[in-house]
Amino acid sequence: MLFSSMTFISIFLPIVCFLYFFARKEFRNYMLLIASVLFYGWGEPRYLAVMLITIIINYLGGLLVSESKYKKISLSLTILGNLSFLFYFKYFNFFVENLNLFIHGHINIIKVIMPIGISFYTFQAISYVVDVYRGDVQAQKDIYKLALYISLFPQLVAGPIVKYHDIADQIDNRVVDIHEVSYGVKRFIVGLSKKVLIANTMGAVADKIFSQPVAELDFALSWLGAVCYTLQIYYDFSGYSDMAIGLGHVFGFKFLENFNYPFISKSISEYWRRWHIALGSWFRDYMFLPLSRFLTQTKSYLQLAGLIGRKKTNILMTFIALFIVWFFTGFWHGASWSFIVWGLYNGLFIFIEILTGWNRDRRGLVGRASQHLYSLFVIVTSFVIFRSDTLSYAWGYLLTMFGFEVGQPIYTWLYYVDRTEILAMIVGIVCSVPIFRTMLEPEDKSFIHIGIINIWLLMLLVLSMAYIAAGSYNPFLYFRF
Amino acid sequence: MTRDEIYQQLNKIFKETLDLKEVHLTDQTTAENVDGWDSFAQISLVGEIEQYFKIKFSMNEILNFKDVGTMVTLIQSKVPKE
Repeated sequence: MLFSSMTFISIFLPIVCFLYFFARKEFRNYMLLIASVLFYGWGEPRYLAVMLITIIINYLGGLLVSESKYKKISLSLTILGNLSFLFYFKYFNFFVENLNLFIHGHINIIKVIMPIGISFYTFQAISYVVDVYRGDVQAQKDIYKLALYISLFPQLVAGPIVKYHDIADQIDNRVVDIHEVSYGVKRFIVGLSKKVLIANTMGAVADKIFSQPVAELDFALSWLGAVCYTLQIYYDFSGYSDMAIGLGHVFGFKFLENFNYPFISKSISEYWRRWHIALGSWFRDYMFLPLSRFLTQTKSYLQLAGLIGRKKTNILMTFIALFIVWFFTGFWHGASWSFIVWGLYNGLFIFIEILTGWNRDRRGLVGRASQHLYSLFVIVTSFVIFRSDTLSYAWGYLLTMFGFEVGQPIYTWLYYVDRTEILAMIVGIVCSVPIFRTMLEPEDKSFIHIGIINIWLLMLLVLSMAYIAAGSYNPFLYFRF
Repeated sequence: MTRDEIYQQLNKIFKETLDLKEVHLTDQTTAENVDGWDSFAQISLVGEIEQYFKIKFSMNEILNFKDVGTMVTLIQSKVPKE
Protein backbone atom coordinates (compact mmCIF):
# COMPACT_ATOMS: atom_id res chain seq x y z
CA MET A 1 0.00 0.00 0.00
CA LEU A 2 1.33 3.45 -0.84
CA PHE A 3 1.15 6.34 1.64
CA SER A 4 0.24 8.58 -1.25
CA SER A 5 -2.79 6.57 -2.28
CA MET A 6 -6.48 7.08 -1.63
CA THR A 7 -6.79 3.62 -0.06
CA PHE A 8 -4.19 4.48 2.53
CA ILE A 9 -5.17 8.06 3.34
CA SER A 10 -8.94 7.77 3.30
CA ILE A 11 -9.57 4.18 4.43
CA PHE A 12 -6.65 2.39 6.05
CA LEU A 13 -5.22 5.22 8.14
CA PRO A 14 -8.50 6.54 9.60
CA ILE A 15 -9.61 3.02 10.62
CA VAL A 16 -6.26 2.18 12.20
CA CYS A 17 -6.17 5.51 14.06
CA PHE A 18 -9.72 5.09 15.31
CA LEU A 19 -9.08 1.58 16.63
CA TYR A 20 -5.70 2.56 18.04
CA PHE A 21 -6.91 5.50 20.10
CA PHE A 22 -9.85 3.64 21.52
CA ALA A 23 -7.95 0.44 22.22
CA ARG A 24 -6.72 -0.19 25.72
CA LYS A 25 -3.05 0.52 26.24
CA GLU A 26 -2.02 -3.13 26.46
CA PHE A 27 -3.68 -3.95 23.14
CA ARG A 28 -2.14 -1.09 21.17
CA ASN A 29 1.03 -2.95 20.18
CA TYR A 30 -1.01 -5.90 18.89
CA MET A 31 -3.26 -3.52 16.99
CA LEU A 32 -0.30 -1.90 15.29
CA LEU A 33 1.21 -5.28 14.50
CA ILE A 34 -2.00 -6.46 12.81
CA ALA A 35 -2.23 -3.17 10.91
CA SER A 36 1.38 -3.56 9.79
CA VAL A 37 0.83 -7.10 8.55
CA LEU A 38 -2.25 -5.98 6.60
CA PHE A 39 -0.37 -3.00 5.19
CA TYR A 40 2.50 -5.18 4.03
CA GLY A 41 0.37 -8.04 2.79
CA TRP A 42 -1.97 -5.77 0.83
CA GLY A 43 -0.01 -5.95 -2.41
CA GLU A 44 2.15 -9.05 -2.08
CA PRO A 45 0.81 -11.47 0.54
CA ARG A 46 3.30 -14.20 -0.33
CA TYR A 47 6.24 -12.11 0.88
CA LEU A 48 4.78 -12.01 4.34
CA ALA A 49 6.37 -15.43 4.76
CA VAL A 50 9.85 -14.01 4.14
CA MET A 51 9.29 -11.36 6.75
CA LEU A 52 7.86 -13.87 9.19
CA ILE A 53 10.91 -16.09 8.87
CA THR A 54 13.16 -13.07 9.34
CA ILE A 55 11.30 -12.27 12.56
CA ILE A 56 11.63 -15.83 13.87
CA ILE A 57 15.34 -16.07 12.99
CA ASN A 58 16.12 -12.84 14.76
CA TYR A 59 13.95 -13.62 17.75
CA LEU A 60 15.80 -16.89 18.32
CA GLY A 61 19.10 -15.30 17.37
CA GLY A 62 18.64 -12.52 19.91
CA LEU A 63 17.89 -14.99 22.68
CA LEU A 64 20.89 -17.16 21.78
CA VAL A 65 23.22 -14.17 21.59
CA SER A 66 22.20 -13.01 25.04
CA GLU A 67 21.74 -16.33 26.86
CA SER A 68 24.02 -18.94 25.32
CA LYS A 69 27.74 -19.48 25.70
CA TYR A 70 28.30 -19.18 21.98
CA LYS A 71 27.55 -15.51 21.56
CA LYS A 72 29.83 -14.82 18.64
CA ILE A 73 28.72 -17.85 16.64
CA SER A 74 25.05 -17.10 17.31
CA LEU A 75 25.54 -13.52 16.19
CA SER A 76 27.39 -14.54 13.02
CA LEU A 77 24.79 -17.14 12.10
CA THR A 78 21.90 -14.75 12.63
CA ILE A 79 23.52 -12.05 10.51
CA LEU A 80 24.35 -14.67 7.89
CA GLY A 81 20.71 -15.78 7.87
CA ASN A 82 19.51 -12.22 7.36
CA LEU A 83 22.02 -11.54 4.63
CA SER A 84 21.32 -14.75 2.75
CA PHE A 85 17.67 -13.76 2.30
CA LEU A 86 18.78 -10.39 1.04
CA PHE A 87 21.33 -12.02 -1.23
CA TYR A 88 18.87 -14.49 -2.72
CA PHE A 89 16.14 -11.97 -3.49
CA LYS A 90 18.23 -8.97 -4.38
CA TYR A 91 21.67 -10.01 -5.59
CA PHE A 92 21.60 -13.59 -6.83
CA ASN A 93 20.75 -12.75 -10.45
CA PHE A 94 23.31 -9.97 -10.52
CA PHE A 95 26.02 -12.42 -9.51
CA VAL A 96 24.88 -15.01 -12.04
CA GLU A 97 24.83 -12.47 -14.86
CA ASN A 98 28.30 -11.21 -14.04
CA LEU A 99 29.62 -14.72 -13.59
CA ASN A 100 28.21 -15.64 -17.00
CA LEU A 101 30.00 -12.68 -18.55
CA PHE A 102 33.21 -13.63 -16.81
CA ILE A 103 33.26 -17.35 -17.65
CA HIS A 104 31.22 -17.02 -20.88
CA GLY A 105 28.74 -19.40 -19.30
CA HIS A 106 25.00 -19.81 -19.52
CA ILE A 107 23.90 -20.33 -15.94
CA ASN A 108 20.19 -19.59 -15.77
CA ILE A 109 18.95 -16.73 -13.68
CA ILE A 110 16.07 -17.38 -11.30
CA LYS A 111 12.64 -15.86 -11.55
CA VAL A 112 12.30 -13.88 -8.38
CA ILE A 113 10.76 -10.58 -7.40
CA MET A 114 12.35 -8.72 -4.56
CA PRO A 115 10.04 -8.43 -1.53
CA ILE A 116 9.33 -4.77 -0.95
CA GLY A 117 11.23 -3.19 1.93
CA ILE A 118 13.55 -6.18 2.42
CA SER A 119 16.69 -4.02 2.38
CA PHE A 120 15.23 -1.84 5.10
CA TYR A 121 13.84 -4.43 7.47
CA THR A 122 16.86 -6.72 7.09
CA PHE A 123 19.08 -3.87 8.26
CA GLN A 124 16.77 -3.24 11.21
CA ALA A 125 16.93 -6.89 12.15
CA ILE A 126 20.74 -6.85 12.03
CA SER A 127 20.75 -3.75 14.20
CA TYR A 128 18.72 -5.67 16.78
CA VAL A 129 21.01 -8.69 17.13
CA VAL A 130 24.16 -6.57 17.11
CA ASP A 131 22.77 -4.27 19.80
CA VAL A 132 21.98 -7.32 21.92
CA TYR A 133 25.48 -8.71 21.30
CA ARG A 134 27.08 -5.43 22.33
CA GLY A 135 25.09 -5.41 25.54
CA ASP A 136 23.47 -2.15 24.54
CA VAL A 137 19.95 -3.57 24.99
CA GLN A 138 18.28 -6.63 26.49
CA ALA A 139 17.13 -9.39 24.15
CA GLN A 140 13.42 -9.06 23.43
CA LYS A 141 11.60 -11.96 25.09
CA ASP A 142 8.23 -11.17 23.54
CA ILE A 143 8.21 -12.22 19.88
CA TYR A 144 5.25 -9.95 19.13
CA LYS A 145 7.20 -6.92 20.23
CA LEU A 146 10.15 -7.89 18.06
CA ALA A 147 7.74 -8.48 15.19
CA LEU A 148 6.36 -4.99 15.73
CA TYR A 149 9.87 -3.52 15.62
CA ILE A 150 10.68 -5.26 12.33
CA SER A 151 7.31 -4.72 10.64
CA LEU A 152 6.07 -1.34 11.97
CA PHE A 153 4.16 -0.03 8.97
CA PRO A 154 5.03 3.69 9.09
CA GLN A 155 8.66 2.96 8.28
CA LEU A 156 8.57 -0.63 7.05
CA VAL A 157 8.98 -0.30 3.31
CA ALA A 158 11.39 2.59 2.89
CA GLY A 159 12.74 3.57 6.28
CA PRO A 160 13.96 5.52 8.06
CA ILE A 161 15.92 2.47 9.25
CA VAL A 162 15.32 2.54 12.98
CA LYS A 163 18.07 1.15 15.18
CA TYR A 164 16.83 -1.08 17.94
CA HIS A 165 18.59 0.79 20.75
CA ASP A 166 16.84 3.99 19.67
CA ILE A 167 13.36 2.51 19.93
CA ALA A 168 13.51 -0.36 22.45
CA ASP A 169 12.03 1.73 25.28
CA GLN A 170 9.30 3.20 23.09
CA ILE A 171 7.89 -0.23 22.29
CA ASP A 172 6.90 -0.58 25.94
CA ASN A 173 6.40 3.02 26.98
CA ARG A 174 5.16 5.76 24.74
CA VAL A 175 2.87 8.66 25.19
CA VAL A 176 0.02 9.26 22.81
CA ASP A 177 -1.37 12.73 23.22
CA ILE A 178 -3.08 15.36 21.15
CA HIS A 179 0.08 17.44 20.62
CA GLU A 180 1.97 14.45 19.23
CA VAL A 181 -0.94 13.54 16.98
CA SER A 182 -1.33 17.10 15.74
CA TYR A 183 2.40 17.41 15.01
CA GLY A 184 2.35 14.00 13.30
CA VAL A 185 -0.58 14.90 11.05
CA LYS A 186 1.06 18.18 10.02
CA ARG A 187 4.33 16.44 9.34
CA PHE A 188 2.52 13.84 7.23
CA ILE A 189 0.88 16.56 5.13
CA VAL A 190 4.23 18.27 4.56
CA GLY A 191 5.72 14.96 3.42
CA LEU A 192 2.75 14.13 1.23
CA SER A 193 2.91 17.45 -0.59
CA LYS A 194 6.69 17.19 -0.96
CA LYS A 195 6.14 13.85 -2.64
CA VAL A 196 3.07 14.56 -4.72
CA LEU A 197 3.56 18.19 -5.71
CA ILE A 198 7.31 18.47 -6.15
CA ALA A 199 8.91 15.02 -6.48
CA ASN A 200 6.34 13.66 -8.92
CA THR A 201 6.42 16.82 -11.04
CA MET A 202 10.21 16.85 -11.16
CA GLY A 203 10.24 13.11 -11.78
CA ALA A 204 8.12 13.45 -14.89
CA VAL A 205 10.68 15.87 -16.38
CA ALA A 206 13.67 13.79 -15.30
CA ASP A 207 12.15 10.60 -16.75
CA LYS A 208 11.59 12.21 -20.12
CA ILE A 209 15.16 13.50 -20.31
CA PHE A 210 16.84 10.36 -18.98
CA SER A 211 14.97 8.26 -21.55
CA GLN A 212 16.69 10.13 -24.39
CA PRO A 213 19.81 8.56 -25.87
CA VAL A 214 22.98 10.53 -25.11
CA ALA A 215 23.28 11.46 -28.78
CA GLU A 216 20.09 13.48 -28.41
CA LEU A 217 21.15 15.49 -25.35
CA ASP A 218 22.92 18.81 -25.21
CA PHE A 219 24.39 20.96 -22.44
CA ALA A 220 21.17 22.66 -21.29
CA LEU A 221 19.04 19.53 -21.50
CA SER A 222 21.50 17.36 -19.58
CA TRP A 223 21.78 19.90 -16.74
CA LEU A 224 18.01 20.28 -16.62
CA GLY A 225 17.62 16.52 -16.31
CA ALA A 226 20.30 16.22 -13.63
CA VAL A 227 18.87 19.05 -11.52
CA CYS A 228 15.30 17.75 -11.85
CA TYR A 229 16.35 14.26 -10.82
CA THR A 230 18.32 15.58 -7.83
CA LEU A 231 15.23 17.48 -6.71
CA GLN A 232 13.00 14.49 -7.37
CA ILE A 233 15.04 12.06 -5.31
CA TYR A 234 15.38 14.51 -2.43
CA TYR A 235 11.69 15.40 -2.25
CA ASP A 236 10.60 11.84 -2.89
CA PHE A 237 12.68 10.30 -0.17
CA SER A 238 12.61 13.10 2.38
CA GLY A 239 8.86 13.41 1.75
CA TYR A 240 8.47 9.70 2.45
CA SER A 241 10.58 10.07 5.61
CA ASP A 242 8.42 13.02 6.76
CA MET A 243 5.31 10.90 6.30
CA ALA A 244 6.90 8.01 8.20
CA ILE A 245 8.10 10.26 11.04
CA GLY A 246 4.69 11.97 11.12
CA LEU A 247 2.84 8.64 11.33
CA GLY A 248 5.27 7.59 14.05
CA HIS A 249 4.28 10.63 16.12
CA VAL A 250 0.60 9.84 15.62
CA PHE A 251 1.18 6.47 17.27
CA GLY A 252 3.58 7.88 19.85
CA PHE A 253 6.88 6.79 18.28
CA LYS A 254 9.75 9.21 17.86
CA PHE A 255 11.94 8.13 14.97
CA LEU A 256 15.21 9.96 14.43
CA GLU A 257 15.35 12.48 11.59
CA ASN A 258 16.50 11.13 8.24
CA PHE A 259 17.29 14.39 6.41
CA ASN A 260 18.68 17.72 7.51
CA TYR A 261 18.85 20.06 4.52
CA PRO A 262 21.52 18.03 2.68
CA PHE A 263 22.01 20.55 -0.11
CA ILE A 264 23.46 23.21 2.21
CA SER A 265 26.44 20.95 3.01
CA LYS A 266 29.95 22.31 2.66
CA SER A 267 31.53 18.93 2.01
CA ILE A 268 30.50 15.43 1.02
CA SER A 269 31.44 14.24 4.51
CA GLU A 270 28.92 16.72 5.89
CA TYR A 271 26.40 15.85 3.20
CA TRP A 272 26.35 12.26 4.43
CA ARG A 273 25.53 13.48 7.90
CA ARG A 274 22.53 15.27 6.39
CA TRP A 275 21.32 12.88 3.65
CA HIS A 276 19.67 9.54 4.49
CA ILE A 277 21.10 9.87 8.00
CA ALA A 278 19.62 6.54 9.11
CA LEU A 279 21.57 4.61 6.48
CA GLY A 280 24.80 6.58 6.92
CA SER A 281 24.75 6.05 10.66
CA TRP A 282 23.81 2.38 10.25
CA PHE A 283 26.90 1.81 8.12
CA ARG A 284 28.99 3.85 10.56
CA ASP A 285 27.88 1.99 13.69
CA TYR A 286 27.54 -1.54 12.32
CA MET A 287 30.21 -1.62 9.63
CA PHE A 288 32.71 1.23 9.47
CA LEU A 289 33.63 1.51 13.15
CA PRO A 290 33.86 -2.25 13.84
CA LEU A 291 35.74 -2.83 10.60
CA SER A 292 38.30 -0.07 11.06
CA ARG A 293 38.67 -1.10 14.68
CA PHE A 294 39.34 -4.66 13.58
CA LEU A 295 41.86 -3.47 10.99
CA THR A 296 43.79 -1.46 13.57
CA GLN A 297 44.14 -4.47 15.84
CA THR A 298 45.61 -7.01 13.45
CA LYS A 299 49.19 -8.23 13.44
CA SER A 300 49.96 -6.70 10.06
CA TYR A 301 48.79 -3.38 11.46
CA LEU A 302 51.42 -3.55 14.18
CA GLN A 303 54.13 -4.52 11.69
CA LEU A 304 53.17 -1.68 9.38
CA ALA A 305 52.97 0.75 12.28
CA GLY A 306 56.54 -0.15 13.16
CA LEU A 307 57.62 0.69 9.62
CA ILE A 308 55.75 3.88 8.76
CA GLY A 309 54.45 5.07 12.12
CA ARG A 310 51.12 4.63 13.86
CA LYS A 311 49.54 7.79 12.53
CA LYS A 312 50.03 6.93 8.88
CA THR A 313 48.97 3.34 9.44
CA ASN A 314 45.78 4.51 11.13
CA ILE A 315 44.96 6.67 8.14
CA LEU A 316 45.70 3.83 5.74
CA MET A 317 43.45 1.39 7.62
CA THR A 318 40.69 3.96 7.85
CA PHE A 319 40.79 4.38 4.11
CA ILE A 320 40.62 0.67 3.44
CA ALA A 321 37.55 0.53 5.70
CA LEU A 322 36.10 3.60 4.01
CA PHE A 323 36.20 2.11 0.53
CA ILE A 324 34.79 -1.22 1.65
CA VAL A 325 31.93 0.61 3.39
CA TRP A 326 31.17 2.83 0.38
CA PHE A 327 31.21 -0.14 -1.93
CA PHE A 328 28.50 -1.73 0.20
CA THR A 329 26.58 1.51 0.67
CA GLY A 330 26.28 1.73 -3.10
CA PHE A 331 25.48 -1.96 -3.44
CA TRP A 332 22.77 -1.73 -0.79
CA HIS A 333 20.82 0.54 -3.15
CA GLY A 334 20.60 -2.14 -5.79
CA ALA A 335 22.32 -4.92 -7.66
CA SER A 336 23.91 -2.89 -10.43
CA TRP A 337 27.28 -1.43 -11.24
CA SER A 338 25.81 2.08 -11.40
CA PHE A 339 24.98 1.95 -7.69
CA ILE A 340 28.39 0.55 -6.80
CA VAL A 341 30.16 3.26 -8.78
CA TRP A 342 27.86 5.86 -7.22
CA GLY A 343 28.85 4.62 -3.75
CA LEU A 344 32.55 4.62 -4.53
CA TYR A 345 32.22 8.07 -6.13
CA ASN A 346 30.89 9.41 -2.82
CA GLY A 347 33.62 7.55 -0.94
CA LEU A 348 36.31 8.95 -3.24
CA PHE A 349 35.37 12.55 -2.48
CA ILE A 350 35.21 11.86 1.25
CA PHE A 351 38.67 10.28 0.95
CA ILE A 352 40.02 13.36 -0.85
CA GLU A 353 38.40 15.64 1.71
CA ILE A 354 40.08 13.85 4.60
CA LEU A 355 43.46 13.91 2.86
CA THR A 356 43.30 17.60 2.01
CA GLY A 357 41.38 18.86 5.03
CA TRP A 358 38.75 20.20 2.64
CA ASN A 359 36.00 18.99 4.98
CA ARG A 360 37.10 21.53 7.60
CA ASP A 361 35.11 24.76 7.51
CA ARG A 362 36.68 27.51 5.41
CA ARG A 363 36.60 31.13 6.42
CA GLY A 364 35.47 34.03 4.27
CA LEU A 365 32.81 34.34 1.65
CA VAL A 366 34.88 32.92 -1.21
CA GLY A 367 36.02 29.97 0.86
CA ARG A 368 32.51 29.08 1.96
CA ALA A 369 30.96 29.67 -1.45
CA SER A 370 33.51 27.42 -3.11
CA GLN A 371 32.78 24.66 -0.59
CA HIS A 372 29.04 24.91 -1.28
CA LEU A 373 29.52 24.91 -5.04
CA TYR A 374 31.90 21.98 -4.89
CA SER A 375 29.44 19.95 -2.79
CA LEU A 376 26.45 20.68 -5.02
CA PHE A 377 28.51 19.79 -8.03
CA VAL A 378 29.48 16.40 -6.60
CA ILE A 379 25.91 15.74 -5.43
CA VAL A 380 24.26 16.52 -8.78
CA THR A 381 26.82 14.54 -10.78
CA SER A 382 26.57 11.62 -8.36
CA PHE A 383 22.85 11.37 -9.01
CA VAL A 384 23.46 11.19 -12.75
CA ILE A 385 25.39 7.99 -12.09
CA PHE A 386 22.66 6.85 -9.69
CA ARG A 387 19.88 7.45 -12.21
CA SER A 388 21.56 5.97 -15.27
CA ASP A 389 20.69 2.39 -16.18
CA THR A 390 24.16 1.63 -17.42
CA LEU A 391 27.58 3.05 -16.68
CA SER A 392 28.19 3.89 -20.33
CA TYR A 393 25.03 5.99 -20.34
CA ALA A 394 26.19 7.79 -17.19
CA TRP A 395 29.58 8.46 -18.74
CA GLY A 396 28.09 9.86 -21.95
CA TYR A 397 25.64 11.96 -19.96
CA LEU A 398 28.40 13.44 -17.77
CA LEU A 399 30.53 14.20 -20.83
CA THR A 400 27.56 16.08 -22.29
CA MET A 401 27.13 18.05 -19.06
CA PHE A 402 30.72 19.21 -19.32
CA GLY A 403 30.58 20.03 -22.98
CA PHE A 404 32.88 17.23 -24.15
CA GLU A 405 30.06 15.76 -26.14
CA VAL A 406 27.28 17.65 -27.86
CA GLY A 407 24.31 15.70 -29.12
CA GLN A 408 21.52 16.78 -31.40
CA PRO A 409 18.30 17.18 -29.41
CA ILE A 410 15.09 16.78 -31.36
CA TYR A 411 13.45 19.38 -29.15
CA THR A 412 15.14 22.07 -27.04
CA TRP A 413 14.94 22.03 -23.26
CA LEU A 414 11.95 24.42 -23.36
CA TYR A 415 9.85 21.59 -24.72
CA TYR A 416 10.44 19.51 -21.60
CA VAL A 417 9.11 21.93 -19.00
CA ASP A 418 5.85 23.83 -18.73
CA ARG A 419 4.94 26.60 -16.31
CA THR A 420 3.83 24.27 -13.49
CA GLU A 421 7.07 22.34 -13.70
CA ILE A 422 9.19 25.48 -13.61
CA LEU A 423 7.20 26.65 -10.58
CA ALA A 424 7.70 23.29 -8.85
CA MET A 425 11.40 23.53 -9.59
CA ILE A 426 11.71 27.00 -8.08
CA VAL A 427 9.72 26.02 -4.99
CA GLY A 428 11.81 22.86 -4.75
CA ILE A 429 15.08 24.77 -4.82
CA VAL A 430 13.92 27.44 -2.36
CA CYS A 431 12.53 24.92 0.13
CA SER A 432 15.69 22.82 0.09
CA VAL A 433 17.40 25.48 2.21
CA PRO A 434 16.26 26.13 5.78
CA ILE A 435 14.14 29.22 5.23
CA PHE A 436 10.84 27.75 6.35
CA ARG A 437 12.39 25.55 9.00
CA THR A 438 10.19 26.87 11.80
CA MET A 439 6.97 26.37 9.89
CA LEU A 440 5.81 23.37 11.90
CA GLU A 441 6.99 24.62 15.26
CA PRO A 442 6.91 28.39 15.07
CA GLU A 443 8.63 30.36 17.82
CA ASP A 444 5.83 32.89 17.63
CA LYS A 445 2.91 30.80 18.83
CA SER A 446 0.32 33.48 18.30
CA PHE A 447 -3.16 32.46 17.29
CA ILE A 448 -2.96 34.15 13.89
CA HIS A 449 0.41 32.63 13.07
CA ILE A 450 -0.73 29.11 13.84
CA GLY A 451 -3.99 29.73 12.04
CA ILE A 452 -2.22 30.78 8.86
CA ILE A 453 0.03 27.73 8.98
CA ASN A 454 -2.92 25.38 9.47
CA ILE A 455 -4.88 26.90 6.59
CA TRP A 456 -1.78 26.65 4.44
CA LEU A 457 -1.29 22.99 5.35
CA LEU A 458 -4.95 22.27 4.65
CA MET A 459 -4.56 23.80 1.20
CA LEU A 460 -1.49 21.68 0.57
CA LEU A 461 -3.45 18.59 1.62
CA VAL A 462 -6.38 19.37 -0.67
CA LEU A 463 -4.06 20.11 -3.57
CA SER A 464 -2.09 16.90 -3.01
CA MET A 465 -5.26 14.84 -2.79
CA ALA A 466 -6.48 16.39 -6.03
CA TYR A 467 -3.21 15.38 -7.69
CA ILE A 468 -3.51 11.84 -6.35
CA ALA A 469 -7.13 11.59 -7.46
CA ALA A 470 -6.13 12.75 -10.92
CA GLY A 471 -3.94 9.67 -10.93
CA SER A 472 -0.75 11.35 -11.98
CA TYR A 473 2.65 9.76 -11.88
CA ASN A 474 3.22 8.28 -8.42
CA PRO A 475 6.06 5.84 -7.72
CA PHE A 476 8.24 5.96 -4.61
CA LEU A 477 11.87 5.73 -5.67
CA TYR A 478 13.10 4.11 -2.49
CA PHE A 479 10.71 1.17 -2.74
CA ARG A 480 13.13 -0.41 -5.15
CA PHE A 481 15.98 -0.53 -2.67
CA MET B 1 45.03 9.66 38.03
CA THR B 2 43.08 12.92 38.43
CA ARG B 3 40.69 14.28 35.83
CA ASP B 4 43.00 17.25 35.29
CA GLU B 5 45.87 14.97 34.38
CA ILE B 6 43.68 13.04 31.97
CA TYR B 7 42.47 16.27 30.39
CA GLN B 8 46.01 17.52 29.95
CA GLN B 9 46.91 14.37 28.08
CA LEU B 10 43.68 14.29 26.04
CA ASN B 11 44.21 17.87 24.86
CA LYS B 12 47.63 16.83 23.62
CA ILE B 13 46.33 13.69 21.87
CA PHE B 14 43.47 15.57 20.19
CA LYS B 15 45.78 18.35 19.08
CA GLU B 16 48.23 15.99 17.45
CA THR B 17 45.76 13.52 15.96
CA LEU B 18 43.42 16.14 14.50
CA ASP B 19 46.16 18.61 13.51
CA LEU B 20 44.63 21.47 15.47
CA LYS B 21 46.38 24.56 16.78
CA GLU B 22 44.56 24.79 20.12
CA VAL B 23 42.34 22.33 21.94
CA HIS B 24 40.46 23.01 25.17
CA LEU B 25 38.35 20.00 26.03
CA THR B 26 35.74 20.19 28.76
CA ASP B 27 33.19 17.72 30.13
CA GLN B 28 30.61 19.13 27.73
CA THR B 29 32.74 18.99 24.57
CA THR B 30 31.21 16.76 21.88
CA ALA B 31 32.32 15.79 18.37
CA GLU B 32 30.21 18.67 17.07
CA ASN B 33 32.38 21.33 18.76
CA VAL B 34 35.73 20.00 17.60
CA ASP B 35 36.75 20.65 14.00
CA GLY B 36 37.63 17.38 12.31
CA TRP B 37 36.39 15.01 15.00
CA ASP B 38 34.34 12.63 12.88
CA SER B 39 33.98 8.86 12.72
CA PHE B 40 37.19 8.60 10.70
CA ALA B 41 39.16 10.47 13.33
CA GLN B 42 37.40 8.56 16.10
CA ILE B 43 39.30 5.33 15.43
CA SER B 44 42.69 7.06 15.48
CA LEU B 45 41.78 9.02 18.60
CA VAL B 46 40.64 5.93 20.44
CA GLY B 47 43.77 4.09 19.31
CA GLU B 48 46.04 6.85 20.63
CA ILE B 49 44.16 7.04 23.94
CA GLU B 50 44.34 3.28 24.44
CA GLN B 51 48.04 3.28 23.61
CA TYR B 52 48.90 6.09 26.01
CA PHE B 53 46.81 5.01 28.98
CA LYS B 54 47.37 1.29 28.28
CA ILE B 55 43.65 0.49 28.40
CA LYS B 56 41.08 -1.06 26.04
CA PHE B 57 37.63 0.15 25.06
CA SER B 58 34.82 -2.11 23.87
CA MET B 59 32.92 -1.29 20.67
CA ASN B 60 29.90 -0.35 22.72
CA GLU B 61 31.92 2.08 24.82
CA ILE B 62 33.34 3.72 21.70
CA LEU B 63 29.85 4.17 20.27
CA ASN B 64 28.52 5.65 23.48
CA PHE B 65 31.04 8.47 23.95
CA LYS B 66 28.39 11.16 24.15
CA ASP B 67 30.82 13.83 25.31
CA VAL B 68 34.38 14.17 26.58
CA GLY B 69 33.13 13.99 30.18
CA THR B 70 31.95 10.38 29.80
CA MET B 71 35.21 9.57 28.03
CA VAL B 72 37.28 10.93 30.92
CA THR B 73 35.17 9.10 33.52
CA LEU B 74 35.63 5.88 31.59
CA ILE B 75 39.40 6.36 31.26
CA GLN B 76 39.61 7.11 34.97
CA SER B 77 37.76 3.90 35.83
CA LYS B 78 40.01 1.83 33.59
CA VAL B 79 43.43 3.21 34.47
CA PRO B 80 44.93 1.03 37.21
CA LYS B 81 45.33 2.86 40.51
CA GLU B 82 48.91 3.32 41.61
